[in-house]
Amino acid sequence: MSAPTPEGVAAQPTGAAATPFGIDPRGPRFGASITSVLLLIVVLLGLTESLGANFVARATQPAALLLTALVALFAWGAFAGIQKHPYGALYRRLVAPRLAPPTEREHPAPPTFAQLIGLLVTATGLVLHLLGVPGALVVAASAAFVAAFLNAVFAYCLGCQLYVLLVRTGIIRRTAARA
Amino acid sequence: MSMDALTALIVIVALIALATALGLMLRTRSTRVAAGCGADEHQLAVDGAEVTLVQLSSPVCSACVAMRRVATDLVAADPTVAHREIDVVDEPEVARRHSVYSTPTTLVLDREGHVRSRLIGAVKPADVSAAIDAARTELVHA
Repeated sequence: MSAPTPEGVAAQPTGAAATPFGIDPRGPRFGASITSVLLLIVVLLGLTESLGANFVARATQPAALLLTALVALFAWGAFAGIQKHPYGALYRRLVAPRLAPPTEREHPAPPTFAQLIGLLVTATGLVLHLLGVPGALVVAASAAFVAAFLNAVFAYCLGCQLYVLLVRTGIIRRTAARA
Repeated sequence: MSMDALTALIVIVALIALATALGLMLRTRSTRVAAGCGADEHQLAVDGAEVTLVQLSSPVCSACVAMRRVATDLVAADPTVAHREIDVVDEPEVARRHSVYSTPTTLVLDREGHVRSRLIGAVKPADVSAAIDAARTELVHA
């Protein structure tokens, strides 16, 4: 049987002090909407700029600079955890006070894992771009955009689905998932 | 790449359209009612219940919490219906027998333990009720 206790308790729409477990699922969606807009700007810049002639030129062209910032943000979410992401702080300070308290809370592990997937995709695109592969930046930013857009608009988190699948198949240890 | 701004904008619009189409497709696929398939689950049917909802959940899954709430409310309102939850990590065999690839998937068992339908995702209460009512009718052997 599953352990309904932590999620069950957290699912109660009680006050913030009474819900130590789980995060407001609207937080990561708020972050994903900012990320998707920024990724779309990377795609637009990448399509209109010509590929820099050397490493330094490629590293300093606007599309690459913005993607570098996004790679850093994904790394923050993936390694510090989704709760410590700067967008999360922005959400708690500016957005959450204006909304009703969440009716359900979710485990922070899947969205944190999704940040890691975002990091892998964008970092791969950035590295290939720096090495001079044409189109790498645009393709990686487009792929990451689709995932961020699905999360922001449809509440469908691809990375979270992957996480659940990996827990199910035992590739990610269940004890880690519950910690 | 350096295409002109208009072409770049067309690509952007196409990208948004693609993501929207994908999202709409995933939305319809992630929550649906499917026919029962695979083996019967006599041992999982709760004795005395006309219909048993067997919810397959995974440890980290917010839709499972939503589905649990829907099922618990229905069971509270109707004592002839039972609900039980199985963790697919603890007991992967049931999920394997019924080709369950996403959680929550809820098997609707009739009195004999025949799997009459599968509810995929956090299905709306009205659709769960309809599946329960369909499972109360006698199974017609084709």
